[in-house]
Amino acid sequence: MSKTFSRRRVLKGAAIGAGFAFFGPFRHISYAQGKKPIKLGLTCDASGQYGDSGQDDLRGIVMAIDEFNAKGGVLGRKVIYVTQDTETTPATGSRVAERFITREECGFLIGALSSGVANAVSQVAQKYGCIYLNSNSSSPTEAGKDCHRTKFVWDGNGTNFSKATVKNAVSSLGKNWLLLTNDYVWGINTSKATRAEIESSGGKVIDELMVPQNTRDFTSYMLKIQQAKPDVVAAAIGGDDIKALRQQVAQFKLENKPAWINNQQDWPDVWGQGAASLFGVFGTTWYHKLKLPGVDDFVRRYQARWKDAPIPVPGNVSYNGYMCTRELLSAIGRAGSTNNIAVIKQLEQLKVSAADRMQHYGAYMNPSTHHLQQTIYMARRNDKPVDNTDLFEIVSWTKPEDALDAREDDMACKLETYESTPTYEL
Amino acid sequence: MSRSQAALLALLAAALATLPFWIARVGLYQYLGIEILVWGLYALSFNLLLGYTGLPSFGHGAYFGVGAYAFGLMQKHVSLNLWLDLGGAILAAALCGALVAAFISHRRGIYYALMTIAFGQIFWFVAVKWHSVTGGEDGLLNLKRMPADLGFASIPLTDNVSLYYFVLVVSCLAAWLLWRIVHSPFGRVIQAIRQNETRAAFIGYNVWLYKWLVFVISAGLSGLAGALFGLSQLGAFPDVMSLHSSGFVVMMTLIGGGLVSFWGPLIGAAVFFVARDALGAITSTWPLWYGLMFMAIVLLKPEGIAGMWQSRRARVAPPTVATQPGD
Amino acid sequence: MGFVSDLLPHLVNGVSLGLLFALIALGFMLILGVMEVINLAHGSLFALGAYLALTLLASKPGPVAANFAWFTALPLGTRYALALVVAPLLVGFFGMVIELCLRRTYGKDPLYGLLFTFGAALVIEELIRVVWGTRDYVLPLPPAISGSLVVEGLIYGKYRFFAAGFALTMIALLWLFIERTPYGSIIKAGAHDSEIVRALGINLSRLRLFVFALGAGLAGIAGIVMAPIWGIRPHVGVDAVVPAFLIIVLGGVGSFWGAVLASVLVGLAVGLTGAYASEWSLLSMYLLLIAVVTFRARGLFGKKSVLEA
Repeated sequence: MSKTFSRRRVLKGAAIGAGFAFFGPFRHISYAQGKKPIKLGLTCDASGQYGDSGQDDLRGIVMAIDEFNAKGGVLGRKVIYVTQDTETTPATGSRVAERFITREECGFLIGALSSGVANAVSQVAQKYGCIYLNSNSSSPTEAGKDCHRTKFVWDGNGTNFSKATVKNAVSSLGKNWLLLTNDYVWGINTSKATRAEIESSGGKVIDELMVPQNTRDFTSYMLKIQQAKPDVVAAAIGGDDIKALRQQVAQFKLENKPAWINNQQDWPDVWGQGAASLFGVFGTTWYHKLKLPGVDDFVRRYQARWKDAPIPVPGNVSYNGYMCTRELLSAIGRAGSTNNIAVIKQLEQLKVSAADRMQHYGAYMNPSTHHLQQTIYMARRNDKPVDNTDLFEIVSWTKPEDALDAREDDMACKLETYESTPTYEL
Repeated sequence: MSRSQAALLALLAAALATLPFWIARVGLYQYLGIEILVWGLYALSFNLLLGYTGLPSFGHGAYFGVGAYAFGLMQKHVSLNLWLDLGGAILAAALCGALVAAFISHRRGIYYALMTIAFGQIFWFVAVKWHSVTGGEDGLLNLKRMPADLGFASIPLTDNVSLYYFVLVVSCLAAWLLWRIVHSPFGRVIQAIRQNETRAAFIGYNVWLYKWLVFVISAGLSGLAGALFGLSQLGAFPDVMSLHSSGFVVMMTLIGGGLVSFWGPLIGAAVFFVARDALGAITSTWPLWYGLMFMAIVLLKPEGIAGMWQSRRARVAPPTVATQPGD
Repeated sequence: MGFVSDLLPHLVNGVSLGLLFALIALGFMLILGVMEVINLAHGSLFALGAYLALTLLASKPGPVAANFAWFTALPLGTRYALALVVAPLLVGFFGMVIELCLRRTYGKDPLYGLLFTFGAALVIEELIRVVWGTRDYVLPLPPAISGSLVVEGLIYGKYRFFAAGFALTMIALLWLFIERTPYGSIIKAGAHDSEIVRALGINLSRLRLFVFALGAGLAGIAGIVMAPIWGIRPHVGVDAVVPAFLIIVLGGVGSFWGAVLASVLVGLAVGLTGAYASEWSLLSMYLLLIAVVTFRARGLFGKKSVLEA
């Protein structure tokens, strides 16, 4: 099998230390740039802890790609994609990213829920200057200490969700709080933010229980919580652990006293476990039954595109996948080329109206952290569903400014300079 | 080493030396070549325990991971000298190996295997929990590829081709070291331990010491592989210490024929990565096919790919004087 | 007294957790103790049991509901009880298939058997993903055993007690089977000295087939029992395999009561650290293992076995 590749034409050299990639013997085969398709690499999980959500992410992304192609592509060029399972494993993420960039010659990468995978992929992407859209990872470090010039983060992070809930909850639910914290970086950072919010709202953290990752049995925590008798429990629990917790709390029927505040719950996880396992108040970035223009049409289009999908309606994961892809392709259109620096500059100034976002407020990209600021929703289990997909009852929506994670901004995030980022145009 | 073996080895060396020139033509990519070398080295060091001493270590990912983390931490906090950092990684991994081996070297068989799993899990747990040092599940990030300073020249390693050659040279040195070890008196003793531990003890060897030493060496070189991996990936993550990942190195060692051949593990690593990459591009159920292939090999030809080659050779060529196992 | 009354619920929790761990470890222990095979597919068989029970329960539209409408008409409790019997039988069948393949590895390095089951674990998990998908599922429970129970002002999950009680029953039944029935004696003898057993005219290969099927079936039952607590997803088996290993080594290979005692100890360690030092609750079982094995190399009640050769 002989393949001839056209290699990237490196337009600018890189500065000290960062270096730029050497891609082997160059073959200058010039395609008519107008005809050559734009290739996206979709680094989505198909197995492991986020296998299910990763595939949902993929559905949203592919839907956006198809919609653009139906309208003639971007800059007159068709948009094509490749995807491979990143197995919720960072080493696989690095390898897939290298493959997509060096072998498949993708101009842009999209995907990831796990922060480990997102970091592995974004490091490789930054090395080559390839734009990477982190569609669904919600670790506060993604756009904080782990930010990159080529990386853009589209999901709300743990801190955003904490901020959106806590202030109101202290006054309405009670002053004595107990924190249930998953003992890894995401959980700890989220709880730190929650604690700060509680204390600044006049509440008090009476205890913090650490939950090691891979905890499957929460009975001892349930007992301790009952013994401590807080007004509210704020749970920063994620991954498979929150799935176990949901099952067990549902059986305990412990949900009303004390009150529970959970962090973001991903729609694919909730769908799998069903309404009965939903407890307390939790966060999301979008819901398919929001009473906003465009939502019903979007849901219909999703269902027409994915007739046999395991999840019959889009949720926050596919929504984020769709949105980031749509904005990337639009940004390329606005930039007038696929030159990565030009597209980055477009994305950095991104502002999307509420109507286009199908959310209550407009969203905007923070140019110094590359984190999209968006409406944050709080919801609880819907006890009066209109159909079997109506699991949520939306309780409140918060402006992006009010849910801002100040710590990532300016303090932790140091983006690489434009000069030190390799540039290309594919 | 027989002539045909030497010829094969030369062919292998030539293929590896020219890899950057043909890797793209076969539809693969440079990074994969680096990964194959790194895991090949890892599997070769692992095989010192499994194939040569008969000790099943199912938690070897711990030392690979420690090597990566130690390399990263040394780079960030101690020195930007590549050699020093690699040395530190080997030392750290060897020390961890020494600690664990002190607990388990008097055991063998399943107790040994199960204890290695327990220790492997502990290292994984520490890597995730001690996130102030290791970065937790986010990983230890932003590692740099420092230039290889040889005194008379400083070779930058920032692109994948230069890094590949560097890893190749280091792996060859390490493989040479391993070869010398298994073909030395020490190597003969550990093979004797594999055949019958009690008998080796009766002859007068300090079996505990040999088992401890071989574990330390294996852990140290696995740590070197880990450091090289950190260098390629520009990061270190806890996932390599998981049971799943430790299981992969066992599988590739066996499939390649580590139980009967020195080079088996390298073959196994190459097959594993190429199959995974090729299958993974087509389907997300590649573990199914790989698992089935693995099961078939275990049942039908446990000597693995190298074993198949050896039997074919034995059928084709007249039998030579019995060489020692593991050639 | 405040301390004791605070401690008591955690002790109860620890013991019940231990019983659940014992149920999980039983099948693994049987195969290891009798056949000297480390069945690394234990976790995947555990998961398979839960998935099969889910399908058999037929609470949602699916193949069973479509073809056996009379079955779905039965009350949930009856269907649950039937699933609890039928699903393990199906898993046992899978176990038999594995054992038949394993025959080629008997007499060779025991490592091969271990590696084969490792491959089987991978394949079964992937098959589950192919057939049922990657999503999570919830096993429906009959109302009699779900819901909560209030004891001394604290709310407990009712199912937990049912599960622990069921585990205790299974342990007792298995013990009775091994110790008090002729079949059980044959199994024990087969572990000790297979040559004599064969010389006595007993079909050893059929015996081994049966034992493996039984071990697999027990793994399946454990999967069904743990499903409402742990959830159902393709990789749930990993959570079962590691504690099972640990418990067997801790209790001593070949010792039934060693395994049970070790399970309870592990349950107490996890439950109590969960209450008082929760960060270390998962690590505690490994530390326990290392502490015990350092001083008692064969675990609590381990017997010298062929596996050490």
